[in-house]
Amino acid sequence: MTVSAPVVSDIASGSRRLWALRERSLGWLEELLPTLAAILISLLLFGVFVALAGQSPLAVYAEMYRGAFGTWFSIQNSLLRAAPLMLTGLCTALPARLGMIIIGGEGALVVGGLAAGAVTIPLHGAPPAVVIPAMMLASMLAGGLWIGAAGALKILRGVNETISSLLLAYIGIALFNHLVEGPLRDPASLNKPSTPDIGEANMLGNLPGMDVHWGLAFGVVMCLVCHLLMEHSVFGFAARMVGGNPRAARLSGLGVPRLVILTCCIAGAAAGLAGMVEVAAIHGKANASLLAGYGYAGILVAFLANHSALGILPVAVLLGGISASGGLLQRTFGLPDAAVNVLQGILFVVLLGSQTYRGRVKLRRSPR
Amino acid sequence: MSDPTVTLGLWGVPLAILGGALRVSAPFLFVSLGECITEKSGRVNLGLEGTLVMGAMSGYGASLWSGSPWVGVAVAGAVGAAFGALHGWLCGRPKVNDIAVGIAMMLFGIGLAFFLGKPLIQPTAPRLPALSLGFFSDIPQVRSALQVNALFLAGVVLAPCLRWGLLRTRWGLILRTVGESAEAARAMGYDVNRVRLWATVAGGVLAGIGGSFLSLFYPGSYNEGLSSGQGLMAVALVIFARWDPVRCLYASLLFGGATALGPALQSVGVTSGYYLFNATPYALTLGIMILSSSAKRTSVDLPAELIAQR
Amino acid sequence: MTASAAASDASDTDTSAIVARVKPGSLEPPRLTAKNMSKRFGDLLALEDVSFTLSPGSVHALLGENGAGKSTLVKCIMGFYRADRGQILVGDSEVQVSSPRDARGLGIGMVYQHFTLVENMTVAENLVMARANLPAILNWKAEHAAIDAFMERMPFRIAPSRTVRQLAAGEKQKLEILKQLYLGNRIMILDEPTSVLTPQEADDVLGMLRGLCQNMQLSVAMITHKFREVKAFADEVTVLRRGRFAGTGRASELNAAQLAEMMVGAEPPASSITRSSRTSTPAALLEINALCANDDIGLPILKGVQLHVSPGEIVGVAGVSGNGQDELVEVLAGQRLPTSGQLRVNGKPYVPRRDQMRRERVRLLPESPLRNACVAQMSVSENIAFRSFDVPPFCSAGWWLEKSRMKQRALSAIADYSIKTQSADAPIGSLSGGNVQRAVLARELSDGAAVLVAANPCFGLDFAAVREIHGRIVKAREGGTAVLLVSADLDEIFALSDRIVVMSEGRIVYECDAAKADLAEIGQHMAGHSSDATHAAE
Repeated sequence: MTVSAPVVSDIASGSRRLWALRERSLGWLEELLPTLAAILISLLLFGVFVALAGQSPLAVYAEMYRGAFGTWFSIQNSLLRAAPLMLTGLCTALPARLGMIIIGGEGALVVGGLAAGAVTIPLHGAPPAVVIPAMMLASMLAGGLWIGAAGALKILRGVNETISSLLLAYIGIALFNHLVEGPLRDPASLNKPSTPDIGEANMLGNLPGMDVHWGLAFGVVMCLVCHLLMEHSVFGFAARMVGGNPRAARLSGLGVPRLVILTCCIAGAAAGLAGMVEVAAIHGKANASLLAGYGYAGILVAFLANHSALGILPVAVLLGGISASGGLLQRTFGLPDAAVNVLQGILFVVLLGSQTYRGRVKLRRSPR
Repeated sequence: MSDPTVTLGLWGVPLAILGGALRVSAPFLFVSLGECITEKSGRVNLGLEGTLVMGAMSGYGASLWSGSPWVGVAVAGAVGAAFGALHGWLCGRPKVNDIAVGIAMMLFGIGLAFFLGKPLIQPTAPRLPALSLGFFSDIPQVRSALQVNALFLAGVVLAPCLRWGLLRTRWGLILRTVGESAEAARAMGYDVNRVRLWATVAGGVLAGIGGSFLSLFYPGSYNEGLSSGQGLMAVALVIFARWDPVRCLYASLLFGGATALGPALQSVGVTSGYYLFNATPYALTLGIMILSSSAKRTSVDLPAELIAQR
Repeated sequence: MTASAAASDASDTDTSAIVARVKPGSLEPPRLTAKNMSKRFGDLLALEDVSFTLSPGSVHALLGENGAGKSTLVKCIMGFYRADRGQILVGDSEVQVSSPRDARGLGIGMVYQHFTLVENMTVAENLVMARANLPAILNWKAEHAAIDAFMERMPFRIAPSRTVRQLAAGEKQKLEILKQLYLGNRIMILDEPTSVLTPQEADDVLGMLRGLCQNMQLSVAMITHKFREVKAFADEVTVLRRGRFAGTGRASELNAAQLAEMMVGAEPPASSITRSSRTSTPAALLEINALCANDDIGLPILKGVQLHVSPGEIVGVAGVSGNGQDELVEVLAGQRLPTSGQLRVNGKPYVPRRDQMRRERVRLLPESPLRNACVAQMSVSENIAFRSFDVPPFCSAGWWLEKSRMKQRALSAIADYSIKTQSADAPIGSLSGGNVQRAVLARELSDGAAVLVAANPCFGLDFAAVREIHGRIVKAREGGTAVLLVSADLDEIFALSDRIVVMSEGRIVYECDAAKADLAEIGQHMAGHSSDATHAAE
């Protein structure tokens, strides 16, 4: 053992570390490249589309950026629209980690909103410190029940969870409409049947210093909590085992049914909370305005984020930004605000198509 | 319909249901037949709502431009084929999830339709002609209830033809094999993805035509609230009909009649339960699925490949 | 014997009226000869210089244990593999079979262990679909009539309008056979055709085959490991062992002992453990009492398994795979629910739940570890933590994962067990088979196991890995672990076991001390043969 050996091994370990760092960053790039390419291609396609409609694509892009993230106002607008998507995205993303495809977020949202509105009726006159948590709890319970039912049907009777969650969504929406126009209807709401107004005091105010309501915080916190849950908790570890290989999960003695149903309940609770936010932060009552398609958009948010709770945050903000820029596009270029729906549609389709290339990009030198 | 009415009393209800069934069920019929074909091949197309709306818009626009509603129908079908082709092509690629693609296509189709269709809201396009089956009656309500359209009749004829085709033609047999066992089909040398692509295209054509019915017959104009989710409902309808084309016909009539039931009941003073009644088909479908599955095996009529991909 | 006699009686009366569905110009099935077939897969020599002749109209059994090369030989004939060396002759002319389509063109068909029928379609639809040329419009009436006419010539009939789902397993197997005949294949290869059938159905199907062969409608090559079937239904038998030819002869002239010797050899393999002859055996730690379970299609596969393992002993379960071993391990692993019977560990009833597994320190080393014991996308460090992620020190406050501690533990396991991996964070799916197994071993053995169930632990691994894993298992035994070793490899069984049992048809049929083991006896029991007269009459 000569004196020079430690020096050599130092250099070797230093360059090994550098190599590892390079490999890791290239690995990140490999994963993100298809997504970045897809976003680029979508923008190009949309640009062609816009040009055909007689406008300059670059001007449109610039205005979209302005409308989405260009000013503080537009950023807040984007965040506002992103908030419900964060919650409904979780509704699909969480069960997907366990290998289940749930698309009933729309139903969970409306029953959650209904429950939130309904619970204020017996609590009429109670202080907000009681009513608001009650609304949150009621909405999460209702939503959790709805999606939990789909999970239970899968476990107990083997019913395909995609179909059952869709059917339950329809049933939930029908129930919602029935109750809103019937037993829970506010007699004062003639033109648009709604549940009684929850009262100004019980509305979710804005976040300090912002024009965005607390629903955003709910969304962000819920995503962070779910991220912690899935990546750093015992429950999430067990859930990922079940999603990764149910046979191995059984071999380790895990109770698969319990994990499945619990995860579905949490997913439904998130969507239910989105309903509560719509009621308590935007409308003040539960009515047909809740049926805005957030549930379906949430499905896409989940897939685009690859079902990662953290990934949902940027995806939701991106989609919120696109949707926020719609109004500006209409005013500036006379483009119908459906233009942003077209961009969203192109983006979704191209991004989904790009998933084929996931795992096929090879930048790193080392064998994977 | 602002015809002078004759008071019919309670008879108004079944008449309205019949009228509703005949009128409103056509889009359901076409979309569900299309989805039936697609699902028989083992693929789910959740994007038919977008195809439907695009069909409505493009059909209306084509009719306006060409002066003939039938050209509109043809164009709607072509547009539907294009959407179906995109869906089928995407889903055939590895690692692409067909549920997500369906939802994406739905949003894309609706967005595109709304965008392109803005100039179509005002003008009136030539509409599909109606055939008055109620010619024998003097009562205006009867006459208006029994107004049908040739397209609807085409659909009624199409349903048993499709059933015949699935059972008795080579294509039907191949389609069903692909939907029941992709492995067996591959072993016999059939290109599973290509069969599914064609099935999805066929589904798109029918959905587009179904959409054109909305804008060219009933309600008969184009606007953004035209579709009330018929595209997505058709997926449930196909399950309710246990993947059989003729049962799709009956189910479409049922669903169509159900949507007319509410207003009809309201007109005779029954006001509550409208939505719950509308939800019965879905609850029934869910019930059937629960009963016919077990923790070990799923239902028999379900094309096996539909769930195998999950 | 009576079943096959009855079958041949039936076919005799049919012979006079039959004109079999033939390829134009031939009356009997051609002779099929495979000469000097060799096939190597990387390091593994699956077939070496094997020759085999299927005479027209005969039933030829291919006998051997797992890994003997029967499957490989047959797949070369069918065109799934290309043999490295050797010739295939049909009749007198050499043929090239480079794909299953070529085989079909030569009139060679194969019936697999799993059904290839489409469940939700009718018998007629399944048969018609299998044809190469389909008419554009199908006249089902005519097709049904044609199928009925075809079935007239067969000793077995199935109504064309029945749905496959409604058929019993035996009927499905017969339908698979009929399908081959319907397609005009005259040479039929069957892979363990009776594995999913009841004994009654097995006799039925094999009797039918024998009848068809005697009528010169068919030649059959049948892969089997059951002596009873060889003796009752085969004309000739060829035995393979370790990829080599081990013997051939007429089934009527060979007895069970001779067959056993050809199948497993004469000398028991060497043992690698010092077997202490114990005067008193400690009380059983793992007891399996009258365990019954059903397989995936609902048929009974475990029919009252009775077994016990004491601490500090290795019990080797020998047997040809497909006799319930997989299902037994699945029940022990909690991957399958038993229909009756009981498991006991340490004197108490045992259910494979996490709390009980932990308390009783029951550990498992299943086969195909990536499929059964690991999550491929999760990291090595996470996989190693599967047993312990929910207890301190790997979790705190009952819910927070201590990932750094998991990684530390993984790193020391990687060092201890020589797991070759890029890093502890690499997905375990990126490791080679041997290293995955090492990781699973590290997980299962590192905190001491009281009961270890190992199933084919070394399947497909290189020599070094095999030696290491065997060493670990022996070390566990020396530490007092009760080891249940299920293996289709007799070498492994003999190398490691203190006691050997044989599992056949869902039961333990034989038990002996390894030191006094009689290889021939074991071989015969593996093949379902026993000297007990009442058993043979079943």
